[in-house]
Amino acid sequence: MFDKMEKMLAGAKADYIDIRYEEVKETAIGFSGKELTTLSANASDGFVVRVLDRGGMASVAFTRPEEAEAAVRAAAENASLFSRNTAKPVRMAKAGSVRDTFAPKLGEDPRLIPMEEKLELLRKYNNIPLAQPKVVTTSIAYSEVYRKKYYLNSEGSRIQEDLLTTSIRGLITAKEGSLTQNIRVGIGGSDGFGAIRGQERHFEEKTKLVLDLLSAEPVKSGSYNCILNPSLAGVFAHEAFGHFSEADIVETLPAMREKMMLGAKLGNGILNIIDDATQPGQLGFYKYDDEGVAVRPVQLIKDGVLSGRLHSRRTAAEFGEPLSGHCVAEDYRYAPIVRMGTIYIQPGEKRFEELLQSLGDGLYLLDAKGGQTSGENFTFGANYGYEVRQGKLGRMVRDINISGNLYQTLMDISSVGSDLRLSQVGGCGKGQSNIRSCNGGPHIIIDNLIVGGI
Amino acid sequence: MEKLLEMARKSADQAEVFSTEQSSSSVSFQDAKLYDIRTNFLSGVSLRIIKDGRLGFAYTRNLKDRQGLLDNALDSLRGGVEAHYGLPDTRVGKSLATYDPAASKLSSADLAGEAKRICEILKAASAGEIMAGAYVSVDSLRVLNSRGADLSQRNSIAGSYSSIIFPGSGSGISREVRSRAMVKMPDNLIAEMTDLFKQGQKTVQPKGGRMKVLFMPESMITLLWRIVSGLSGRSVYEKISPNAARLGQRIFSPKLTIYDDPLNDAHPGARAWDDEGVPCRKLSLIEQGVLKGFFYDLKYAKKMGAASTGHGYRGDIWGGDPVTVKPGPFLGHLFVEPGPASLAKLISQMDRGIIIEGVMGAHSGNIPNGDYSIGIGPGLYVENGQIVGRVKDAMAAGNIYETLSNVVEAGDTLYPSFEGARVPPLLCEGVSVTTKA
Repeated sequence: MFDKMEKMLAGAKADYIDIRYEEVKETAIGFSGKELTTLSANASDGFVVRVLDRGGMASVAFTRPEEAEAAVRAAAENASLFSRNTAKPVRMAKAGSVRDTFAPKLGEDPRLIPMEEKLELLRKYNNIPLAQPKVVTTSIAYSEVYRKKYYLNSEGSRIQEDLLTTSIRGLITAKEGSLTQNIRVGIGGSDGFGAIRGQERHFEEKTKLVLDLLSAEPVKSGSYNCILNPSLAGVFAHEAFGHFSEADIVETLPAMREKMMLGAKLGNGILNIIDDATQPGQLGFYKYDDEGVAVRPVQLIKDGVLSGRLHSRRTAAEFGEPLSGHCVAEDYRYAPIVRMGTIYIQPGEKRFEELLQSLGDGLYLLDAKGGQTSGENFTFGANYGYEVRQGKLGRMVRDINISGNLYQTLMDISSVGSDLRLSQVGGCGKGQSNIRSCNGGPHIIIDNLIVGGI
Repeated sequence: MEKLLEMARKSADQAEVFSTEQSSSSVSFQDAKLYDIRTNFLSGVSLRIIKDGRLGFAYTRNLKDRQGLLDNALDSLRGGVEAHYGLPDTRVGKSLATYDPAASKLSSADLAGEAKRICEILKAASAGEIMAGAYVSVDSLRVLNSRGADLSQRNSIAGSYSSIIFPGSGSGISREVRSRAMVKMPDNLIAEMTDLFKQGQKTVQPKGGRMKVLFMPESMITLLWRIVSGLSGRSVYEKISPNAARLGQRIFSPKLTIYDDPLNDAHPGARAWDDEGVPCRKLSLIEQGVLKGFFYDLKYAKKMGAASTGHGYRGDIWGGDPVTVKPGPFLGHLFVEPGPASLAKLISQMDRGIIIEGVMGAHSGNIPNGDYSIGIGPGLYVENGQIVGRVKDAMAAGNIYETLSNVVEAGDTLYPSFEGARVPPLLCEGVSVTTKA
């Protein structure tokens, strides 16, 4: 394959050029209620070329090999157009050339498991909520995405890496009278099929929770001190802070960039956040990013102080900061952008019971239900929660959405628990999606969160 | 394509080949400087077969191995995904203006030129951080099936967008224009952005409570997403739509009329037939607040004993790659009928309220039920008909069946919004807003 890719670039003259070829094999099985709605296994493939020439940069994605010449020409022309129209030439931080082939160790290779077995496992899990009369529907899907990536650049790098992501995820919907409630389910990972076997408990617990939600009270909107469980703490780390550690976001927002200088005091002194995608077995695990740079752990916040940032080669040069290996694409349809790998709040020392005691009155919020960032503000949902009075868990509450301001909220993290957990399924949209986006944390306390209710 | 269909027809009762070829370019400016130029040449072929009431589905980017593709589809039959519908025998679609040859001639330099022009005007007129971009996309679609349908259509869409970011906040006032070939972003739209930006520079922290809310095109996604969910034939079939038994009843304010019109080729993206080859037509959904109908693709129409309304599309609320996604019911040409009021007149009617220019979290919460709970960013706070400043840390929450029963007035201008929708600004009253004050 590399020879073929090399040939595609043969005629191009530029300061720098790279090409990535990916073969993507996807297996999808889906149920909507009792009905099987999807079952297919397919393969698709394509290329992305990037050119940097005299400070101008451009990319072209294409799916037909015979279009390679036109694609490379278009990339070169656009890079030249960029170069002529910019006062600020693009530079790339120096990276060594790498030759490597890497495939992660899998607990059990899902590609070797027959479709029928996958279907039956999914049906078994789906039947757990459907056995309850108040569950009106489910939407549950098995997904297996195998990406075989070939990366080559004009500096001599040749890397072939495999990524395999397996998940079962979806939504259980229950109804009583006119009230509908739903809850998310999700299991999986990047280390094979083993992660999704023997997970009946997960579906039983979620089924009980969605039924309980039918008799929960809507949360009263207002400002509360809250304990976030590890799932929510992870989404908080990702949404509220993580996106602003992606250098390409702050790069072109001068006022935020000023506030986000390394060394800036951003959070309470007990706060430590890291992005570490180098841990085998975690959802976010990979070895090289889509610029051929080896990913490394980056301490983003140390004792409340901003201490690192996630970079592409372009942003590392722009900021004069070290490379981190975080320039990642969804697949062959996209040029890579800066993405989080595995971001989490590092554990402290407090046990959950101690957190409850120190909270006094407030809310205990659990399980993420979508989040979004717009500049310094963020919003995310919690699947369910409980009132807390004098350190004791009380009534269950539903319809919880939280909103806050990045800078204020990082200062308002007042306690960090000891029980770190990382997410098993991911999904982050930033123009393109990232199903391996992994996050986590321990239980934490945040003071004065705005809870919107409905 | 014909050969693939012929092979598929021999192995199945019905077969359909869907193919697309797309070339697109985009140029983006960030902080008023050229940041990125991207081009895509994407193509693909997707095969659906139906045999003994079961569905087989397969796709590829490069149709080199027809037998391999067909084998994938035949393999997928074994799962037993039900398909009891018949593919349509549509011979010709209504002739629409969907393609402007000028779009094919647009170069990256043209796109960069327009984005740069917008940046320069905004930079000169405001103290904000400027983002802008322009794009063009030309694609051709073809749907062939074993009942003799052979439909093809060429489309072009070009547009530009820009944002003035409130420095330090990362969020701002955004507008977009779309057409079949490049049109300049109009001066009055640019002036609207700079005016709103200027009036929002000061931050304020008003008290929360129930108040008027003006949903602008960028925040209308909150309402539209829930409307689409509540009117989908699929939601009705799955018993998660609250509207199943409300046909003919008033569910929204009499000031609200909503329809889907794929045939309106005054806007880009018009369609004569959907991705299943079913002819498109104008579909009335809400007439003066009264629920008039639901929308269906072939599958859910069959399940509900209805006919497809021509709304089977390969992609949903989350977008999606048409080659790799099976058709499902979707509204891609939604229109909310404009009202009589200019933007200034709408604002003058707000005794106390928030103009929502951007939202966070529109995609979460109990969507089928119509519930929303959104972070506002940015929102402009209004008192006595005057914008006072930009609100800090606020959320708006409610249920669309309540909010849209309390429409004060719709604006007189249609803006492009979520997934091809055209909507006016919509002023609603009694919306619950939470702030830190």
